[in-house]
Amino acid sequence: MLKQFLAIAFGLSCVPVVLAQASLRVAAAADLEPVLPRILAQFQQSSGIRAEVTYQASAALAAQIQNGAPFDLFLSADMRYPKRLIDAGLADAAGSADSTTPIIYAKGTLVLWARKDSRLAAPSVELLRDPGLRRLAIANPDRAPYGRAAVAAMTSLKLYDSLRPRFVTAENIAQAAQFVDSGNADAGLISLTSALTPHLEASGRYFIIPRDLYPPIEQGAVIVSRTAQRAAVHKLLDFLLSPAVQAQLSRAGLTSVQEK
Amino acid sequence: MIDWQAFALTLKLATVTTAILLVIAVPLSALLVLGKSRWLALLEALTALPLVLPPTVLGFFLLVLLGLRTSVGRGIAAILGHPLAFSFEGLVVGSVIYSLPFAVQPIVAGFSAVESSLIDAARLLGAGPPRLVWSLLVPLARRSILAAAVLGFLHTVGEFGVVLMLGGDIPGATRTLSIVLYNQVENFDYAAANRTAALLLGLSIIALAAIYIGGRWRGARDA
Repeated sequence: MLKQFLAIAFGLSCVPVVLAQASLRVAAAADLEPVLPRILAQFQQSSGIRAEVTYQASAALAAQIQNGAPFDLFLSADMRYPKRLIDAGLADAAGSADSTTPIIYAKGTLVLWARKDSRLAAPSVELLRDPGLRRLAIANPDRAPYGRAAVAAMTSLKLYDSLRPRFVTAENIAQAAQFVDSGNADAGLISLTSALTPHLEASGRYFIIPRDLYPPIEQGAVIVSRTAQRAAVHKLLDFLLSPAVQAQLSRAGLTSVQEK
Repeated sequence: MIDWQAFALTLKLATVTTAILLVIAVPLSALLVLGKSRWLALLEALTALPLVLPPTVLGFFLLVLLGLRTSVGRGIAAILGHPLAFSFEGLVVGSVIYSLPFAVQPIVAGFSAVESSLIDAARLLGAGPPRLVWSLLVPLARRSILAAAVLGFLHTVGEFGVVLMLGGDIPGATRTLSIVLYNQVENFDYAAANRTAALLLGLSIIALAAIYIGGRWRGARDA
């Protein structure tokens, strides 16, 4: 009896080990959540390599990697956090032209989003000038890339000082969207990837903020240097940068790296 | 730098919340202990529910409930002139709901510990429920009520998830110390985070020690 039990216990304990060897662990910025699962499913079909993803704020993922989280690849929503990991000697971009600069795999697009049943006009730059706009949701500009872009865009429009008292600051773009979707804020500056998710696409309208109003939201990838699966990580990176996948990113609200 | 504005706001939120909690929890606990209806078990279960939900989820539900898309939210906004979310009043509502079990549980325990012969005697002497609660249960269970106040206060000081979801991080209105601390950690400003955390812990230790010293001193005098 005991022997059988031990045999089963041993067998079970081996299963996760086998799985762990076969799959990559990817730390991905939360704005990729609507896009990445489908791409990774295709990657598994074509390469046989499975990837498990943890979606969180880029800042939180960077802090986790700094403290030894067992990821192989970090797909950030900006360049700052991957750069920080490179500077700390914890990550690299080996194999690309410059191994000390994160690999740009996509660019983000900032939109102004509001509910269809809003009492105000449809989203536009004019909406930002409307005194009837009482609450504008943004992601925290101290750490969320789209929050920084939102502040930059409002500064370019010379609206930052007048809008600032009306900000409600969310933890990330998803929460900023919740603030608006629940009817508590009149509009929000969020990512196009969020605005194109089925729920938000059904309940609201968006306006693409002109790209010359804010610095590009470049999304950088780095290889976590401790990884034991460097070859597999490179395969995934090449796949992400391939024209077919880049086209999918565009459809989901990101700008491909090739587009200017 | 320590954010003294957030410090003052946190104390204000915890004080207002504690006062409201006691006003609600004392009669509610009396009803739960003295009442005979079977439905009170359901009410008691309901008051414990905020313990089950993750605070951010509770905050999310409140955000939706108090938003302008529900009649509740529109009614409140019509009375106040602004939506309850992203305001100090909104945080008070969230905190009272979130901390209610922490105030009710100790008081129910305290009231239940009062000997039933004393309650029966008071009833025979003609005391109605308000008198029974105010002149008998409350004085006898005062340490439980104190414990409820302390727990409610500290739980509100440390409250994070509800404030994060419902607050919108507005300085002076909804940016509490726990939000400041979280922002500092997320921004890798660990030195400032250490100072804020030390302030929170120091404040709590002093408050708790003062209350427990008071309790011991009184306990000794009563004995």
